[in-house]
Amino acid sequence: MCFGRVHDNATRRFVRAGILVTVVLGLLVFWDSPAWSKVYIDIDAPAFQRFPIAVQDFKVLEENGDLKEEGEWFADEMGRMLNITGFFRVIERSAFLEDVAAAGITAPEIRFGDWLSIGVDFLVKGGLEIEDGRLAVEFRLFDVVRGALITGKRYWGRPEDKKTMVVKFAEEVMLALTGERGVFNTQIVFVGKKGKESELVTVDFDGSGWTRLTDYGALTLFPRWSPDGKMIAFLSYMRGNPDAYILDLASGERAVFSEYAGLNMPSSWSPDGTEMLCVFSKDGYDDIYAVNVATKETRRITRSPSIDVSPCWSPDASEIVFVSNRSGAPHLFIMSADGGNVRRITFEGSYNTSPRWSPTGDAIVFERSVDGRFQLFTIKPDGSDVKQLTFQNGDCLSPSWSPDGRYIAFSLRRSNSEKICIINANGLNFRTIEDIGGFDSVKQPSWSPALKLY
Amino acid sequence: MKRNWQILGRLVVVSTVLVFVLSGCYCFKETAVKETPPPAQEKAAEAKAPAPAPAKKADDEAAKAKAKALYEKQVAEAKTFAERPIHFDFDRYDLKPQARAALDELGAWLLKNKNFDVLVEGHCDERGTAEYNLALGERRATATRDYLVKLGVDADRLSTVSYGEENPVDPRSNEEAWAKNRRAELNVFPTSWYK
Repeated sequence: MCFGRVHDNATRRFVRAGILVTVVLGLLVFWDSPAWSKVYIDIDAPAFQRFPIAVQDFKVLEENGDLKEEGEWFADEMGRMLNITGFFRVIERSAFLEDVAAAGITAPEIRFGDWLSIGVDFLVKGGLEIEDGRLAVEFRLFDVVRGALITGKRYWGRPEDKKTMVVKFAEEVMLALTGERGVFNTQIVFVGKKGKESELVTVDFDGSGWTRLTDYGALTLFPRWSPDGKMIAFLSYMRGNPDAYILDLASGERAVFSEYAGLNMPSSWSPDGTEMLCVFSKDGYDDIYAVNVATKETRRITRSPSIDVSPCWSPDASEIVFVSNRSGAPHLFIMSADGGNVRRITFEGSYNTSPRWSPTGDAIVFERSVDGRFQLFTIKPDGSDVKQLTFQNGDCLSPSWSPDGRYIAFSLRRSNSEKICIINANGLNFRTIEDIGGFDSVKQPSWSPALKLY
Repeated sequence: MKRNWQILGRLVVVSTVLVFVLSGCYCFKETAVKETPPPAQEKAAEAKAPAPAPAKKADDEAAKAKAKALYEKQVAEAKTFAERPIHFDFDRYDLKPQARAALDELGAWLLKNKNFDVLVEGHCDERGTAEYNLALGERRATATRDYLVKLGVDADRLSTVSYGEENPVDPRSNEEAWAKNRRAELNVFPTSWYK
């Protein structure tokens, strides 16, 4: 694909000629107001309502190939991408008043009144053609109320690049309207279990691209994606004992991380990737340790006869949230990175567990047993502002934040089977990845950092 | 503390023993006779002592048959312990009176049958999280092991592994299933099988 920028057709051609010489991928940007920087949507507002957006069938700009169906595909895929962000309500095409054949894709050619009257705030239009033997696709985002272009891009590529084009423009839409690019370039790793064995599987943010990473034929649990995106730590019984391993994603090589007698549970990479919080039972009872990933130098953090598990770093690595039953039942505690200044933060419920500190630092998501079901809650690190996020008829388990802190992946257990689900950080926009790929259960998700998938 | 390969070996061995014993197949005969002598030596020696030289071959046969019979009896008894896991209350790892009674029986047996070891597997019901349950299962296995050690069983003969909530015996989600799944399994098997 190619990238570039242009203001009108003449300069577009000029710029394109220059780009063609040097790059394979291309893009053009055009805009109405040169300094467009307003962030439209405060998606973190508590009472956030999904913004109504319409995506019209992309128009064939020049009839030089069989592109009609492609035009529909781009609109469908763009709508699907925007919908799964949870921040948009994509309006059904059947509600559209404007005639796609008659309308153009630039502001002067659009009857904005037709869009306003069906309740649309934002409009995506696009056009496509074959140009110099390559697929050229133009995307435009309009503010329907102002009747103006917000952002536009033109991409060139091979037919197989078309999803990349959609994702790239979906990122532009998110950036223009929310101030961040979204998490289209992320994956989720999780455990797929069949019988007594389990393997690691990854899937893209949108639920596509199901990939099985391992074939160990042994119980394998707790995958944890490294902050640089290059490695996954996990526990496996492949040699009998529950040992910790690290899988290098580029080479596919697996290395033993720790093999103490008893439990070796990798729990949380430090934000800079240098230290891993683990639970070992090597010194008698399970306790929390920090292990230097490069040197394996290990420092013990808790020394308690109680069960201490599930440690997770705060985003600034100054503190650790963990689960302990030292006060009788499992509750959340926070301590300094050296194990000092321990304080309890949950006092309600008889079972609070699986804490994960949000990347923005202001909330911790966890599971609490309510009426015999586990539901997800968030709590502030000072113990205040407890909010229930899920109200499922099932158990919501093993939450994991997206790298931007706007989504939470977890597994939902209903009648002996678990599936991976995603909600927005406010608990709304529940969606399930229905595919379980032949496993009995898929569970224990861990969200990747930003990757370069598209 | 014994290491992973031993535990893995034990797992393979336990299932192999059960398969062979249950199927009545004597494929394992040769190995068993060859490797039992150390612990069974006293009895083999007793059997040998009164009947000295003349029919040496016949004596060997008799001793072998006796050792084999003893071994088979031991394996059968060991299997009864594996069939009776001990159970725990929700989110608890302390041993209940019934569990202690069962372990008293096992401890006494182990003190008599020193050619057998135990792998204690700790398990949990599905409630709670996998990580907490893995630790809880380890506590259950450890509490079981520690009790046997107090009874005088050599700690080297006892190893533990936790599977948390991952291997339920009853996959249903109800009180009856949960009660069955909160358990420590007592896999008793001949030392020779992993050494």
